[in-house]
Amino acid sequence: MKTQSYYLDHPNTLRNHLAKSYQIEPPEADSAKSTPPLISPKGQLFAEHENLFTFDGECFRETLPKPAPFVLFGVQSCDLTAIHYQDQFFANDPYYQARRQQALLIGIDCLSPCQQGFCPSVDAGPGVKNETADMILHQLSATSWLLLVCNKKGLNALEGLLLNPANESEFTDRDNRIASCVEQFNDDSYLQQGITAINQNQVPEELWQQLGIQCLSCSGCTNLCPTCSCYGTWERQDSNGDIRRQRFWDSCLYESFQREASQHNPTEEAGERVKRFWTHKFGDNFAQEFGRYGCVGCGRCEQTCPGVVGVHSVMKRIASDAKLDT
Amino acid sequence: MQNSILNNQAFYNLTPIAIELVDFINDGEDARHFRFRLPSPQSIDKPEPGQFFMLSVPGAGEAPFTFTVTPNDQGVFRALVRKMGEVTTALFQCQPGDILGIRGPFGKGWPVNALANKKILMVAGGCGLAPLAGLIDQLITSHHHKHLALVYGARNRALQMLNPERLRWQQELSLFDVLEDTGSTQASTEENHILEGTPLDAMDSVLRTLDWTPDTLLLCGPEVMMSAAAKNFIQRGLSAQAIWLSIERRMHCAVGLCGHCYLSEHHLAHHYVCKDGPTYRWDHLQPPEKN
Amino acid sequence: MTVQVTPTICPFCGVGCGIDLRTENNKLISVEPQLDHPVSRGQLCTKGWNSAYGIDPINRITHPLIRTAQGFRQASWDEALETIADGLKQILVESGPQATGIISSARATNEDNYAAQKLARAVLKTNNVDHCARICHSPTVAGLSQTLGSGAMTNSAADLLETDLILVFGADPTENHSILGGHIMRAHLEGTKLIVADPRCTRLAKLADSHLQLKLGSNIALLNAMVKTILDNGWQDKKFLDQRCEGLEQLTASVANALEGVEETTGISLPEIESAAKAYSQSKRAMILYGMGITQYVSGTNNVIALSNLALICGQIGREGTGVNPLRGQNNVQGACDMGCLPNVYPGYQKVDNPEARAKFSQYWKTEVPEHPGLTSMGMTKATLAGEFRGLILFGEDPVVTDPDQNLVKRAFSKLDLLVVAELTMTDTARMADVVLPAASFAEKSGTFTNCERRVQHVQQALPPVGEARTDWQWLAAIAQQLGSDQLDWHDSEAVFREITQITPNYSAMNYTKIDQLQGLQWPCNHETPEGTAILHKDTFPIGKARLIPVHPIDIDELADNEYPLLLTTNRLHFHYGCGSMTRKSPLLERETPAGLLFINPADANDLGVTHRSAVGIRSRRGYVETRAMLTDDLPPGLVCMPYHFREAPSNQLTNTAQDPLTKMPELKACAVSVQPLEPGMSPRPIDEISALKVEGVK
Repeated sequence: MKTQSYYLDHPNTLRNHLAKSYQIEPPEADSAKSTPPLISPKGQLFAEHENLFTFDGECFRETLPKPAPFVLFGVQSCDLTAIHYQDQFFANDPYYQARRQQALLIGIDCLSPCQQGFCPSVDAGPGVKNETADMILHQLSATSWLLLVCNKKGLNALEGLLLNPANESEFTDRDNRIASCVEQFNDDSYLQQGITAINQNQVPEELWQQLGIQCLSCSGCTNLCPTCSCYGTWERQDSNGDIRRQRFWDSCLYESFQREASQHNPTEEAGERVKRFWTHKFGDNFAQEFGRYGCVGCGRCEQTCPGVVGVHSVMKRIASDAKLDT
Repeated sequence: MQNSILNNQAFYNLTPIAIELVDFINDGEDARHFRFRLPSPQSIDKPEPGQFFMLSVPGAGEAPFTFTVTPNDQGVFRALVRKMGEVTTALFQCQPGDILGIRGPFGKGWPVNALANKKILMVAGGCGLAPLAGLIDQLITSHHHKHLALVYGARNRALQMLNPERLRWQQELSLFDVLEDTGSTQASTEENHILEGTPLDAMDSVLRTLDWTPDTLLLCGPEVMMSAAAKNFIQRGLSAQAIWLSIERRMHCAVGLCGHCYLSEHHLAHHYVCKDGPTYRWDHLQPPEKN
Repeated sequence: MTVQVTPTICPFCGVGCGIDLRTENNKLISVEPQLDHPVSRGQLCTKGWNSAYGIDPINRITHPLIRTAQGFRQASWDEALETIADGLKQILVESGPQATGIISSARATNEDNYAAQKLARAVLKTNNVDHCARICHSPTVAGLSQTLGSGAMTNSAADLLETDLILVFGADPTENHSILGGHIMRAHLEGTKLIVADPRCTRLAKLADSHLQLKLGSNIALLNAMVKTILDNGWQDKKFLDQRCEGLEQLTASVANALEGVEETTGISLPEIESAAKAYSQSKRAMILYGMGITQYVSGTNNVIALSNLALICGQIGREGTGVNPLRGQNNVQGACDMGCLPNVYPGYQKVDNPEARAKFSQYWKTEVPEHPGLTSMGMTKATLAGEFRGLILFGEDPVVTDPDQNLVKRAFSKLDLLVVAELTMTDTARMADVVLPAASFAEKSGTFTNCERRVQHVQQALPPVGEARTDWQWLAAIAQQLGSDQLDWHDSEAVFREITQITPNYSAMNYTKIDQLQGLQWPCNHETPEGTAILHKDTFPIGKARLIPVHPIDIDELADNEYPLLLTTNRLHFHYGCGSMTRKSPLLERETPAGLLFINPADANDLGVTHRSAVGIRSRRGYVETRAMLTDDLPPGLVCMPYHFREAPSNQLTNTAQDPLTKMPELKACAVSVQPLEPGMSPRPIDEISALKVEGVK
C-alpha cells in the first residue's frame, strides 16, 4: 500500500477517535512528544512478568494473554525500531505475538535531538520508518500535524475519522525537517570507533574488567533497553494449589545469569558480562541475523546506569583507549 | 515472519506435556537413573543421541537433561540425574507415579553420520557420561563405527555413574575407568583396570593399550577437561574437525529466547547452546584465523 | 486495563531514590526510576529495581494472628486488639509502665514512628522506645551532637558532584547506598580525588586514587595520625579554627604521640598517611562519607569524634562539597530518629531529661509524660531476662536475625508475657510473637520518609493493603483506643504530619503540598528556612562553636588467638537488604548469592583446605554457623567477612556483644572466629538444622 497522508489539527483528535475501539497507551492525553520516555513500551508486548502455564496436578495448560486491542500512541522511532527488532526475535513466541497482534502502533517523528539519543548513528531515527509503524504523526506547526498512514491496518483504524488529504509536497518537507534534525545531533564518532573496536575484538580485557568493576549488576540497562529480551522463570503456587510458571525480565549482567546448579559459571567475571552486553548490542554477527544492531540509540542505559557504564561512557572509554594504543 | 496469525504458525511451545515417573535406580552417589513414560511414543519427536529435553518438576522449575535411553514403543525413556540444585533436589523427592513435565527434544545431537567407519575415542567426565550413553548404545547395536573406546573419569568410585551400563558395555567396547581418588585398595584398582588421575593423565596408558589409533574424539564433561583433552589430541596430530564436544549451560527456554545459554567467546557471542549446540565441533569453537 | 503510575520513594536504603509504581487493576506490574528525582536522577540499584517482589501478596501476612498451643490461628482485628490491650493492661497494673516498650521501625514512615513514640510516652507512659539506629548510627548521633550539635549528614547528595576530594571511611556505598556510590564513581571519573579507608578492598577502593587498607578497628589511630600530620605541617584551616572551633589545644596535646607506632597499629605507612592528610586538608573542598565501619565498634562514638576532629581542623565543613556525612542504612532511619523513637529524646531531639522539653510535651499532648529516659532495645532485652520487662510491641524489624547475639534476643523474646509484632511476612521474630498484626507495605500507605541527606519525601499509596493489613500508625492508634486513649486519633497521615510539624522545630515549616512541589524538603525547614536547608553549619553550629574532643585509640574487644585465629567483620551485599525479608522474595536477587557466605582470602583458604564456593563451618565464642566460602583478594589474610542478610547463616550468631559504653552500640565489625571446611560435596546446613541437632544432643 502506498503511504497516505492527511492533515490533523492535533494528535488528540486521532487519539479520541482511536479510543472508541482501542485502549490507549500511555493513557494521558498530550503524550505525543518528541522525547522518548524513560520507560519504553517494551513491557506492553514483552511483559515484565508473564504467566506461561498452569499445572493442576495432572495437566499443563498454556495461559496465553488475551489483551483487548490497544494502541501504542506517539512512539518515537527508536522504540518503534526496537519493536520491529523484537518482532523478529519473538516471531515464534506465542505470548509476545498474542499481545503484538492486538497492538496498533502510532509513531511520532522526532524533530529535535533528545539528551542521550543518537538514533541517526544506528539507523533508528529520528524520523519514523514506514515499516515500523501503522501510522506516523509529524508536527507541522503548533496547530497542524501531518498524519501518515503506512498500511492497511492503519487505514482500517482510521475509518470514521474524516481528514483532509495532505499535499504531495509535505513528504519532501518532512524529509527536510528530519534531515535538519539529524544535523543537530552531537558528534558521536566515538560510537563508530567503539563499534569497530568491539567487532574486531580489539577492546583489551583489562578495559572490560575495569568497566566490570563499575557495573553494579543493577539490571537498569537491561530493563530499560527496548531490545533486551532475556528472561528467567520461576514457579509459584496459587491459592487453589495450582502451580503457575512465570517468566520475568532477567539481566545478563547478574553474576548468577549463567551460573549452573553445579556452581560452574562460564561468566563469573563482571568484565566478561559487560563485554557480552555490548557485543550483543553492537556485534556484527547479531546484525547479520536481525538486519541491524541491537542498539537503537535511545541512550536510556546512559541515563539509568549508576556505575557510569552506559553507552556513551563505555564507547568513549573504548574509543579513547583505542586512540592511546595507536 | 512478522504479523503472524496465532493459530497457523509453528509457535514455540513453552508448556510441557505431562509424563509419569515410572521408577528409578540409585546409580552412584546422589545420582539416580530415572524411567519416565510419555502419554504415547508420538508425544514428542524422536530424539537423536546427544539431544536434550527440558524436565519440569512442578513447583521447582525446569532444567535440561539428556536421554540416556530414547523413548521405546511404550513411550518409556530414561535419564540420569545427579542431585545438584533446586530442580534435581525436588525431583529426588518425587515418587513413582508422580506427574512431571517434558518439552523437547532440543538442540543438535552427536554427528552420527560422521561416525561411520570411524575409530572413535570417547572421553567423559562425571555426569558427562550421560549424553554419550544413548550414542554408545546406538553404535554398539548398529556397528556403524569401526572401533570404539570410552575413557570415563570420576572423582572417586562412589561418584561413578551408569554402573550397570558400563558393565554391559565392557563386552562391546574398550572401557577405561579413571579415578582421581582410587581409594586405599590398590589391589581392587589393579583387578578392575582402574587408572589413576584425570582422563588426560591416563591417556598415554589408554592409547598404548588400544591396538588402534583414534581418528574421532567425542568429549563430554567439565569444560576444563574437554578443552584440555581437545588440545592434547590436536598435539597428538588429530584434526580439529574430528573432535566433537557437548557443552552444558543454564537454560530456561531451550528455544533460543531466554538468553541464558550464550557462548561468551567473542566470535560465537550470537550462539545459544540450546539451538546451535549442545554438540559442537572443536574447530567451530575456535576464533577464526587472522589473515 | 487501567494502568496507573504513582510516584513514591524506594523502601530500601537511606538514599531515598524516587520510584514510580506502575499498577494495573490494583496489581503492581513494575517499578521504574524517576527521571527528575533530585537524588536518583533516573537511576535505581538492583534492590530498587526488584522492590516489586518484596511486597508481592504471596507470603504476606493478611490477617491478625494469635498464638495458641497449636500454633497461630487467624483472628479478627477486634479480638487481636483486645488481646493486646488486655495483656498490656495487666502488665501495666502488675509491673508498671517500665515493663512495657515499643521498638519502632526505620523502615516505617515518620507518621508511623511518631505514633509509636507517642503511644509509648503519652499512653503507656514509658520512654522505652527505640529502633535499629541503635545498631547502625547511634554513635553518629552521640558523637556529632557533641562536636557539631547535630547528628545528621551535614551536606547533600548533590555535593558529591561539586567537590574536589571524597574520603570514604568505613563505608561501602556502591553496595549499600548504590546510587550515592554511583555519584562517587561519576565524580571520580570526572576528576574528583577519591580516598578510601577500609580494611576490605571494596569496589570503590579498587577505583580509588588511594586505598588506606587499615587494620580492623584502627580507625582512631589512623585519624589521629592524620590530624597530627596536618597540624605538624601547618595544613590546618587556622581561620576556621579560630572563629568556629574550640578545644584545639587539648586536641593538639592529645595527638602528640599519634605517629608513634602508627604504621604497626594501622598497617598504613607514614608516607601514605601524610599523602592522604595533605590531599584532604589542602583540597579546596573535601567531603567525608562514613558508615558502619566507623560506628559498629566499642569505640564507635570516639571514631565519629575522630572523624569530626579531622574535618573541623581542616575547615572542611559548612560549605558546598564538604562535611561529615554518615551514610544511614535504612530508608527512614533518619526520620525514626527525628521522630524521637529513641529512649532519651522526643521528636526533634528535644531531650527527655530536660524539664522544659518534658513540660512542652506534657502540655502539647495534654498528659503528663514520664520523667526518666527509657531503655534501649538491648536494655529491654536484658531487662526481660532479669524479669523486669514483660510487654513489647515491635514492627518492621527482625531483631532475632539482625541483632547482635541473637541467642540472647531469642531467649528474651520467648520470656516476654506479651510480644506483639506487626510485619509484612513471617519473619523469625514474628514467629515468636503472641500476636502478629498484618502491616501495610510502603506501596500500600501514605506518609513521609526522611532520607540520609535530611530530605523529607512523600510516600504515596499505589495499592490497597493486602487482606486486612493496616498502616502502622493506624493499628498503633487502634491499640491506644483499646486502652481508652484518643491520643492517636488522626484522620489521615497528613493529620499526623501536621502534628509532627507543630512539635518538631526542624520540621515546623513543612507540609505535604510543599514537599510535593519542591521534591522533598531538607531539614531544618522552619520560618527562617522555609524551603529547607541543603548544607548544615554554614555560619554557625547549633552549639555555637564546634568542639574538638581528644579521643584515643581503643583496641577491638576480642583479638584473634590460637583458638579463634581469624578476625570476622561484617558487610552488606548490593543484592540484599537487612534480614532479606523483602529482597529474598525476588527470584533474581535470591539466585545471585548462596544463602549465607563467607569471604576469605585465598591464602587463608588454602591453609585451611577450603575451596571456592565449598561449604565451611564458622565458630566464635558465641555460636556456630555454616556457609559457602567465597575466595577473594578483597580481604587481607587473617580477616574474613560475612554479610548478615541470611537467616540460614546469621552472622549475629557469631558477633561480639561488647558495647560502645556511651551508646551501647555492639561491636558488630570485629570478633575472633575459627573456620573449618566441611566434607567435600556437603552443603551448608541452615542454623535451624544445626540448633535442632544441638537440642537433640542434649536430650
